[in-house]
Formats: sequence, C-alpha cells, structure tokens
Amino acid sequence: MTSIPATLLWCLAAGTAAAVVMIFFLVRGRQRSQALRRHLATAEARASAAERGHTEIAAQLRSTEAEIRHLAEARLPDLATSLAHPHVSVRGLNDPRFTGTDVDQALTAAMDQLSQAVIKERTRVDEAAQAAMRGATTTIQALLYRLQTLLQEMQHRYDDQAVAQDLLQADFLNEQALRRVQTTGVVCGAWPGLTRDDSHLADLVVGAMSRLRGYERVQVSNLLRDPVGVVARAVEPVAVALTELLANALHHSHHELPVAVTLQQGNRGASVIVDDYGIGMHADEIEHAMRLLGSGERVLLTELGDPPRSGFAAVGQLVRQYGFTVHVESSPYGGVRAVVYIPGDPLLTLMDEDTQPMSVMAPLPPQMMRAHSTPLAPPQAAPLTAPAAGATPAPAAEHLSARAPEVPMERTPTRTPDRAPEAEPTRTPELQASRTPDSMPARTPEHEPASAPESATDPTTGLPRRRRRRPTAEPEPALPRTEPVAERSPEESANRWAALQRGTLSGRAEADHRIPRLEGNDRA
Amino acid sequence: MTPRQSNRRLVPAYLATGGRARPSRNTLDRLTVLYGATVTAPAELRPEALRLLELLRPGALTLAETASHLRLPVSVVKVLVADLVDAGHLHARSPIPEAEQIDRQILERVLDGLRTLKS
Repeated sequence: MTSIPATLLWCLAAGTAAAVVMIFFLVRGRQRSQALRRHLATAEARASAAERGHTEIAAQLRSTEAEIRHLAEARLPDLATSLAHPHVSVRGLNDPRFTGTDVDQALTAAMDQLSQAVIKERTRVDEAAQAAMRGATTTIQALLYRLQTLLQEMQHRYDDQAVAQDLLQADFLNEQALRRVQTTGVVCGAWPGLTRDDSHLADLVVGAMSRLRGYERVQVSNLLRDPVGVVARAVEPVAVALTELLANALHHSHHELPVAVTLQQGNRGASVIVDDYGIGMHADEIEHAMRLLGSGERVLLTELGDPPRSGFAAVGQLVRQYGFTVHVESSPYGGVRAVVYIPGDPLLTLMDEDTQPMSVMAPLPPQMMRAHSTPLAPPQAAPLTAPAAGATPAPAAEHLSARAPEVPMERTPTRTPDRAPEAEPTRTPELQASRTPDSMPARTPEHEPASAPESATDPTTGLPRRRRRRPTAEPEPALPRTEPVAERSPEESANRWAALQRGTLSGRAEADHRIPRLEGNDRA
Repeated sequence: MTPRQSNRRLVPAYLATGGRARPSRNTLDRLTVLYGATVTAPAELRPEALRLLELLRPGALTLAETASHLRLPVSVVKVLVADLVDAGHLHARSPIPEAEQIDRQILERVLDGLRTLKS
C-alpha cells in the first residue's frame, strides 16, 4: 500500500519537476519570443528608416542632378555670354535649398574655374592676334616711311606740273595709309614707330591734320604766347592722338562744316582744343570713350567691334604711356569737344625760332602776326629769322611780368627734371607745386581755371574770348535713368520688344480694318 | 641725351596748296623774280601765303630762293606765287636775259637793205 503513495509521490515529484522544467522553458521561450519581437520591431523600424533614407537620398540625387543639369543648360551658357557681354546676368541655383551646401560650393568652384579658363584663353588668343598685327604693322610702317622719303625727294627734284601733281597725291595717299597702319599698331601695343626732334606744337597740329582726308576743313588758331614745343619723345604720340581726334571730328560732321582747333597756353601746360559742329556723341558713348581714355585696363581687339573702332583705344594707349591727357565732352555747339592737355613739366619745352623755325603751313600766334605786319626798318634783315629772333626775349619777359607773375615754363627747368633732381631749388614755386600729385590734372576742374583767365583777358586779340567749358546741366538727370535699363536681361528686352511689336501689329491690323469702314461712313 | 632723331618732315608739302601742283599761270620758272605788291599783308590769307609775303617784304627774291627759304618744293611754291599774283599781292618779273653778241649776219642784211633803199 505504501508503494502507491510512493509511486504517486514519485509521479508527483516527476510531474512537478517536469512542470518546473516546462515552466522554465516556457518562460524562456516567451522571453525569447519577446526579444525576437522586439528585435523584429527594431529591425522593421530600421528597415523603414532605411527606406525613408533611401527615398530621401534618391530625391536628393534627383535634385542634385537637376541642379547639375541647370548648371550645364543655363548657368554655364549664361556665364559664357556674360564674359563676352558684361550686362548679361548669370542665373543662380535652381533649388535655393542648396545654398551654402557642398554642392553649391562645388558648382561655384566649377564656374569660377571655367570663367578663369575662358578669360585666360581669350587674353592669350587676343595677345597672339595683337602680336601678329604688331609685327605686320611695324614692317609696313617702315616701308611707308621709306616711300615717304622717296616721294619727298622726288617732289624737290621734279618741277614738271603733271609729275608734281601726281607726287603730291601719292604723298597724301601714303600719309593716310601710314596713319591707318600706325593707329592699328598702337592699339596692338606697338610704339608710335618714330622719334622726332623737339617740335613746335603748332607744327604738330598741322602735321596731324595733314594725315586726314578733308584736312582743308580744319581751321587752326594759334593762341600760344611763347614758342611752345613738345619734347622729342612725345611728338609722335601727341600727333597720333590729335590725328585720331581730328579724324573723329571730321568723320562725324558734315563735309562742309569746319572743325575748329585752338592752341591754348595755360600756366602749367598747353592744350589743343578740337571742336566740331557735327552730330555729337550720346552720354554713354562719351562714357565709353572716357573709359578707354582714362582707365588702365588693357584693350582687347575683340572689344573694338567690326569694323574696328580703334581711334579712342589708340589714344587711350598713348595717354597711358606718355602722360598727356585727353578729355572728351559734348560741346556747347552741339558737337563734340576734345581737349588734349599736355603738361608742361615733363612734356613741353620752349623752341628756339632761330635754329628750328616753325613750318610755314602752321599759323602764327596773334602777337607774332602783329609783329610781322608792321613794316621792318632794316631792309636786308635776315627774312626768316629777324622778327622772331628780335622779338622773343624782350616781349616774352614783358608778358611774364605783366600778365602772369608765375612763370609757366622756363627753358632750363622743363628739360632738367628727369635727369637732375638736384636742380629743384632753381625752380619757381609754381613748378614745384606742379610736382605735387595734383599736377596731373583731373580733367576739367584742374585746367579750366588755368586757361580761363588768360583767354578772358587776351590783349593781343583785343576781344574778350569767352567759352563755356561745361555743357548745361541737361545730361546730369539723364544719367540715373540709364542704370535700370542696363540691368535688364536680353530675354526681358526681347519680350518687351516682342510685346511692343505685337501691339503695333494688332493696332495696325485694327486700323486697316477700320479705315475702309470710316471712308464708307464718310461717303454715306 | 636725346637719341639721334630723324629729321623727317612733320608737315607735308601738299598741305600748302591743298594738293594742287598746277599753277594758274605757266609763266613762272625757278628764276622768276618776286617782289611784294602790298605793304601789309591781309590777315585773311593762309599762313603759308602770309609767310611768303613776309619773306619778300625786305626785298625781291627769285622763286627758287623763296622755295628754299620756305623749305617747300619749287612746284608748290609756283602755285602759291601764282595765286598771290592773281590776287594782286605779289609781282612776278621774268628774269632779264643775259646780254648777247649781236648777230653779225642780221646787221649785214640790214645794212644791205638800207643801201638798196638809198640807191
């Protein structure tokens, strides 16, 4: 009997143990399944996050691709155009969210590199073209000078009318060809190609005008008090600059209108004023010209247009290299006034009329004309030199003491400054003042007062000469108006013009329909 | 210090006459003597004409000398002079021919003629 409970006990014990084990396993299994479930949940979450990330990355990739496409299709062409035409604006990023990101920086760097490469290549090609032109013009110029010498000798050798006539014509043609070649060479960076002696300023003006068709329209009036000359190294550059300015004046005025050239002597230098009565220049043309004449930036051949307008570019090169100044403005007569100012300190000298008389074609200053028109007492005075030689020292001193206490130019100081700085004390205070930075006149305001009092009280002509240096204030308000126009993009302009054209067309079509009806009404 | 310069002309000769080399009269040659006709030159003349008259005020010069003083070709000075003579500012006189031996044959023929008249 006892075996049953024992058995039962055993069974119970075994059952309990099995239950304990079962429970243990059950708990363990449940724990594992819970862990698995958790794991699954995190895995799912991670997977969905990954998926989200993936779609995000895909979207980002797409927008980056779009950005790159935008760069290739819009921004790079814009950039290429704007490098050639500065008023074209370059579009920015397509998607503003990229601003400041790595993508933006990379794209900007790419554009910068492209623009640098384009600019460098353009400069290189232009320099190559300029070098080629320079080589050609230098050779041609030398040949033309030889031809000029030959023609000049022939003119002196042959008296026959017909031959002389042809020789003069050939000389003139040669002179025009020379001018063209010389200007082209100067634009391409060549030097003017000729060193001359110190020359009278009046000779220089007359020589410059002789290189142009229509020179007979140029009227030169010489108001210099002293025999002012230009030092050797600046003669040909100033002559070339004057030639170009005169060419502009002649070309842009009617072929029956005169071009007035005035030679004025100021306190610190001399000016040549070229006035034409032609069509004038717009404000932006004047601005462009002044930019060419004033700035230090180099000129590219591609910017000169086709056919190339090399005049102001050449003058600008010479102004930079030789230190005289040129100012262009619209003249009170409606045309253009160009003023070449040659500073006395480095570039002018006083000429000796005995050793270097002025050319007979150059007009004399008024007081010398007056001296010439009085009959001479000694009948056999040396004809060419007597009036000038006798009159130079004394009247010059009179002029200086009576009219201008400050000596404008003295022979020794003007020639010395480059070589002998120790000669400073001999200089007059005005000349020392002219060494200060303002000696290079900033265009109008500086040299206006210099020549104005002189022209106002010129006793030699007896007439008060009054001239307005500035045009009336009309162009000033026009200036701000141009700025918003400059910012308009080409597409916008095209749209506006197209709209105008459409409107005009539709209006005309309307009018065409209406006119017969109106006529019908009138008749009815 | 200044480099040796060329003495290339700055002002060409055709400027004096506007390119003309045919004078309005062909009686002028290198030895034509020129002398001024007016005491004071009218100021409206062109510079080269004024200088020419100025040159001639002290006395007469031949055309070749004038050209040399003005540093212009003779052909151009001829045009200038012809214009000034036309305008009455200048007188031009042909050069006086050199004295020559009288032709003996002509004298003999004249003598013969006189003798035949007389007889």
